[in-house]
Amino acid sequence: MASLQIPKEPLPKPTWWGNVCAGVKSTWVGLGITWRNFRSTPVTIQYPDEALPIDARYRGIHFLEQDICIGCQACAKACPVDCIEMEYDRHGKELEWFKFTVDYEKCMFCELCVYPCPKDCIHLGSDYSMVSETKPMFLKELLSYTGLTEEQKVRIAKADELKKKKAAEKAAKKAAEKAAKEAEEAAAPEAPPEPPTKEKE
Amino acid sequence: MIEFLRDLLGFETWLLVIVGALISFLAIFGFVAVLAMVAVWLERKVGGHIQVRLGPMRVGGWHGWAQSIADSLKLLMKEDMVVLGADRVLFKLAPAIVMATALSTFVVLPFSPDLQVADVDLGIFFVLAISSITTIGVVMAGWGSNNKWSLYGAMREAAQVASYEIPLGLSLMMPVMYYGTFSLKAASDAQSGWYGMQWYIFSDAFWIAIPSFFLFFTAALAETKRTPFDLPETESELVAGFHTEYSGMRWAFFFMEEYAAMFLMGAIGTAFWLGGYSFPGMNLLEAGSFLHTVLCIGSFVTKSMLLLLVMIWVRWTLPRLRIDQVMTMGYKYLTPLCLILVFMAAGWEYFKFAMGW
Repeated sequence: MASLQIPKEPLPKPTWWGNVCAGVKSTWVGLGITWRNFRSTPVTIQYPDEALPIDARYRGIHFLEQDICIGCQACAKACPVDCIEMEYDRHGKELEWFKFTVDYEKCMFCELCVYPCPKDCIHLGSDYSMVSETKPMFLKELLSYTGLTEEQKVRIAKADELKKKKAAEKAAKKAAEKAAKEAEEAAAPEAPPEPPTKEKE
Repeated sequence: MIEFLRDLLGFETWLLVIVGALISFLAIFGFVAVLAMVAVWLERKVGGHIQVRLGPMRVGGWHGWAQSIADSLKLLMKEDMVVLGADRVLFKLAPAIVMATALSTFVVLPFSPDLQVADVDLGIFFVLAISSITTIGVVMAGWGSNNKWSLYGAMREAAQVASYEIPLGLSLMMPVMYYGTFSLKAASDAQSGWYGMQWYIFSDAFWIAIPSFFLFFTAALAETKRTPFDLPETESELVAGFHTEYSGMRWAFFFMEEYAAMFLMGAIGTAFWLGGYSFPGMNLLEAGSFLHTVLCIGSFVTKSMLLLLVMIWVRWTLPRLRIDQVMTMGYKYLTPLCLILVFMAAGWEYFKFAMGW
């Protein structure tokens, strides 16, 4: 770009023929510019079919790695507008999910929910289009499934079995201890003599 | 055509005239409606690509070809509103007058040696006279709308069109003098010699023809209210000018009139400067045969559409002038230039006559 040049002397007074020539010339130059633009490839894209590349750090709609989430509520507590809500049941270590919603009427994509997560399981994705005809559609469910999966059921069953086994072992151990103690008591009915204590008189 | 109908139907002559007029009207109206759709689509596509974008791409599949059809359907279904304070008679009559004048100018266009509604001897006079009536329709629309913006637009239209009639008429005098006829068909016939390439811009008076063509084109832009001369509907100053208060199909009539007038100006430029319906190798085909007629029509419409495309190109290139600049250009620049060319053309004709060429 050429810098703005302020003419030192005043411009010459426009003449009639000068104006005609300037008009023809400027029209010609302008038509050339638009012709070059016409021939060039359009810079726009057909949006819903193709999309522009998105930066990796773009703060779009959330996505949740449900399997590693521990339901600690840290993101919900960190949220300045309280748009995250979750509901779950604990089965030991396993979580039975019912709800993990983000209300995008409130959400301002500040990313503050991401940092406190101890498991690094909530992220802001690259998807930015959220078109809806009704307001409830903006209450987005982040869970990919609710309830318990088969794997979780298996794990819970195993954990229960282990628990039962441990409890049984413990009970057995306790019973054994008790039995041993009783046997000991029976074997030594007389109590050993008390060690003589120093009189504190 | 009248004779053909008499043989076909055997009616009385006055009835045949009415039937012929009705058929011609329907043909012209259909042509203008399709033309307006195509021209609007072209305008949007060309404008889009000039602004390095794509224009309509969705409706109809291939490059949004059905966009205009969808738009016209929408316009047909829209509510026909008349503003409360409007002069109802003028308001409702204005689009009809504008459309009727635009359609009736198509009567004299020679699409081929045979296909012409009426070969009027004073053809170009007829066109200039009838197309000036459009101004009355526009002024009626502006006055009847009871709206300041509309009235400003209408007054500008009246001033602009009245002043640009002069350079337009004068620039048309050059081919008229060269061919010695006002009829568009006679001028086209005169240009179809030498394998259909004896056009006015290739003639011995090309040094008059080419500048006069540019002057005609400029005046035609102003006459059809196209940018850079679209002062009557400057959306930056007057909301939409004279058609601010119109909606639905009445508005569409103004819109169609604009594109019909553009095509008409392109057709006049074609008929007088670019050889009309003639095309290279024209006399190799038998005159009046089907192929000959189709190629003649195709040649005429193609040339006119090319001129229409140039008008669209100019529109997306040049910024709008101020009203005083428009008037200055009309009176101080175009009119004197046209007068000079008229004298030069007359001198050249006299010179040829005196030399006995």
